[in-house]
Amino acid sequence: VAETETGQKGRKEKLEDLLVVDCDVHVHESPGELAPYCDMPWRKALENVADVEEYYLDIPGFSPGMTWYEARFPSGHEGRRMVHSAEQMREELDEIHVDIGVLFPDHLLKLAMITQAEYAAALARAYNAWLLEKWCSQEKGLLGCIIACPQDPEDAAREIRRYAREPGMVGVYLPCAGLDPLWGHRRYDPIYEAAQETDLPVLLHSVTVVHPVFPFNLHVFETEFGRHICGHTFSIMANLVHMISAGVPVRYPDLRIACTEVGISWVPFLMNRMDKEYLERRREIPILEERPSHYLKKFYYATQPVEEPENLHDLVTLMELYDGEDRTIFASDWPHHDFDHPSKVHQIPFSSEVRRKVFGENALRLFKIDAQGNRLNL
Amino acid sequence: MANREHVVGDISDFPEGSHKVVKVGRREIGVFNIAGRFYGLPNVCPHQTGPLCEGKTTTGTLVARKGNDWRFEWDYEGEIVACPWHGLEYHVPTGRCLAFSNINLRRYEVVVEDGKVKVRL
Repeated sequence: VAETETGQKGRKEKLEDLLVVDCDVHVHESPGELAPYCDMPWRKALENVADVEEYYLDIPGFSPGMTWYEARFPSGHEGRRMVHSAEQMREELDEIHVDIGVLFPDHLLKLAMITQAEYAAALARAYNAWLLEKWCSQEKGLLGCIIACPQDPEDAAREIRRYAREPGMVGVYLPCAGLDPLWGHRRYDPIYEAAQETDLPVLLHSVTVVHPVFPFNLHVFETEFGRHICGHTFSIMANLVHMISAGVPVRYPDLRIACTEVGISWVPFLMNRMDKEYLERRREIPILEERPSHYLKKFYYATQPVEEPENLHDLVTLMELYDGEDRTIFASDWPHHDFDHPSKVHQIPFSSEVRRKVFGENALRLFKIDAQGNRLNL
Repeated sequence: MANREHVVGDISDFPEGSHKVVKVGRREIGVFNIAGRFYGLPNVCPHQTGPLCEGKTTTGTLVARKGNDWRFEWDYEGEIVACPWHGLEYHVPTGRCLAFSNINLRRYEVVVEDGKVKVRL
């Protein structure tokens, strides 16, 4: 291992000497925080739940709940870390050697499950305005993603254009938990049009919920172990199958697409599975100009939750299978219960060149920023 | 090298059922008082270097054994510490990691003499 861990220059760079761009960290937005940024009458509803007891990603009328279906036994592991301010985020990211963090929400990971489209759109507008004002800061190395409300794609497109030239906003977040229809549906075209036009990447991010749409019909599992395995990975795979079936990367050839909180080991499987089906069923998706894996190899994949095989070299091999050295981006998911300390990714026996790409350079290309977090496409 | 003892507090600092992290030189060591017996573990989780002894409380945990038809049982009451980062569980008296049998923590000897709690390195 020692030999493969050393690069061309012979010495492995220390984590603190590498540029680390963390493509997925979570701010804590509460109803009370968003209320002043929200239009009436929805502000009234946020104020009404501002003081209710909060469970992990579960507030009635805000983030539809799934609090513990199974018996709750005592544990020293609470797993309820939250980050309440940009200052707190900066301090905590410093502790894990992160230079630039890309911001995602906590509760609004479940935005797609809100049944009232107008309320969902109002929440998205409030979050975007609040995020920009309270969190986004190039000086602090904290850069935001505009949340795209799936229930109102036209309004989402307006939001993308509204914030597209803000130095603190670098991407568009596509919520996946409980999503119906999936992100390949033509109803979402305005979002893709706006993202491509404004040169902002779109980032898919799921979360575990129990909801009657695939793959969130997770009541079939007795345990969070089962639900959490499927809630993220199968959601992203389903969305990618749907987006490629619908020709999203063909119709929006300049759109940059990234997947977060889903690990990387499934990417070779999906490539091979889709190519195999394509042999027989190409005529169902004649929009594709190349085999499906051609498009999957152009997407970006965030490491967290990074797989931890006994032989970490397996991850190098996995990445090679999807030509991932230019497409794999580091993410920690701080402060969530399953966050990855960058030391784990740092242990993977990459070459020095690939290590620098995965920790920072690929993300700079995805977001079109420099190493100080300045946008290069303004 | 001869064992060296480091006083880390008075016995009254470690009531039964409690634990806390102490510094001995550059080492952080979790000192546990479980039913009157003292144990010491490193405050570094081998998984991702989390502060494993900083979990708020020790608890029991769930096990399933063939002799009981693989039903859930609550066992090891007060003897389990879970790393606050990712929840990996350890049995404090043995240093054994419950999820991964290949992980065994170093154990530091902790003794009580004349009302003083001492860690032996």
